[in-house]
Amino acid sequence: MNLFPDVFAIILFFISVFGLLTSRNIIKSIIFILLMQTAVIMFWIFLSSRFGQIPPIINDPALLYDMTYIADPFPQALMLTAIIIGISVTAICITMLNTLFRRHKTVEWKALAQCAREEAVQRNNDI
Amino acid sequence: MLYVLLILWIICSMLIIVEHKIYRIFIYFGIFSLITAACYMLMGAPDVALAEIGISAFSTILFIVCVEKYYSHRGGIAAYAAEHPKKLKLGKWAKRFLPPLIFCSAMLGLFIYFIPGEMVSTYLKYQYLSGFMTSVGGQNAVTAIYLGYRVYDTLFEALILVVAVVAVSHMSWSSEESVADGHHSEIENYSMAIFTLRIICPIILVFGTYVIMNGHISAGGGFQGGLVIASFFICRYLIYGIYDIPIKKIIKLEELVFINIIVVAVIAVFLGTGALIPGEFSVLFQDAYLIAMNIMIGLKVACGFTILFYRFVAIERREEVVA
Repeated sequence: MNLFPDVFAIILFFISVFGLLTSRNIIKSIIFILLMQTAVIMFWIFLSSRFGQIPPIINDPALLYDMTYIADPFPQALMLTAIIIGISVTAICITMLNTLFRRHKTVEWKALAQCAREEAVQRNNDI
Repeated sequence: MLYVLLILWIICSMLIIVEHKIYRIFIYFGIFSLITAACYMLMGAPDVALAEIGISAFSTILFIVCVEKYYSHRGGIAAYAAEHPKKLKLGKWAKRFLPPLIFCSAMLGLFIYFIPGEMVSTYLKYQYLSGFMTSVGGQNAVTAIYLGYRVYDTLFEALILVVAVVAVSHMSWSSEESVADGHHSEIENYSMAIFTLRIICPIILVFGTYVIMNGHISAGGGFQGGLVIASFFICRYLIYGIYDIPIKKIIKLEELVFINIIVVAVIAVFLGTGALIPGEFSVLFQDAYLIAMNIMIGLKVACGFTILFYRFVAIERREEVVA
């Protein structure tokens, strides 16, 4: 099998899934979500252009005679949108993490689950 | 050349899994984003590379600013990390790591077996590349696509940024809405990095304006330039150390600019850029539309990220006031 570059993007995606499943810290989980985002975007860009292609900025109309040397502009425009969405999601995740930290004083998954369980038990007892 | 970069990329991500100290993970993440941007440049995507660099700088600073408070009561990030790594016994290690490892390897094998691997292209590439100069204008195909052919995607993406700013204000633990005026931060003003930033700061602003205005001729555009201008405000905070930005006015400005973007885009799409304008003036009208949309998008993105940064730095890091 010829080693195409998009295999690396898939490998990175599954490394990030593995890291997300086994991280003890919430901050690491947020970083792995951002890494998954980057892997998907890289996969798109690898699938639609080859190494060494010219960016799609046409200053000289003579370039348009042979379009195999120009990179595809359409996935790049879509991925621009996807990058901005990724950072917005990350900012909201960090805000939610901050709120949770102020209430329970911990940033680890198991400790937070324990605190939530205790709160639920307390709420049941109150009712 | 590309394969060397990609192997470094994978090694960087594996280091993030293995590492226990949090402050090192952020540095690895910064290196990772730099390698990603270099790969984008080699594949012929300079607009995406600019955007990736902008958000990696922004998100690294965001992480560092927020995380520092989590560990300050244990003696700082360095002290916490020194006591943390604990060795797991083999049984617990197997229970925690083996099922995700098997699952991920199986999915990886399936994907590699079924994914095509060669270049996939549609006829859209030829249609956009041959027609964008006359129907939308400018010389950058990516700008023509996200401002001409697929402008509604851009409107909803701008909407997501507005939603992010609103969500950050309302999901926060603190109910304050504006930054306290004149409060000094704890950064010392005389370190060498700050000294260099004083000189570079105005150049960053000029560069950001250049990237916005020249988005339709060369690589760049509204989003990338907006990110650069937001990083100018971050540098300004690092140099002076006081919060003197009127956050409420910037929120109002962002909302007004967003409404303006929607109005201009819808009117231009219905009028058809250049269709109703005679002869040689149609090029002027096309360029004016592209420049105006780029400026408004850049202003909106800069305002949004500045608001996010100042909220995180000034309000989220505050100590709780015991009543």
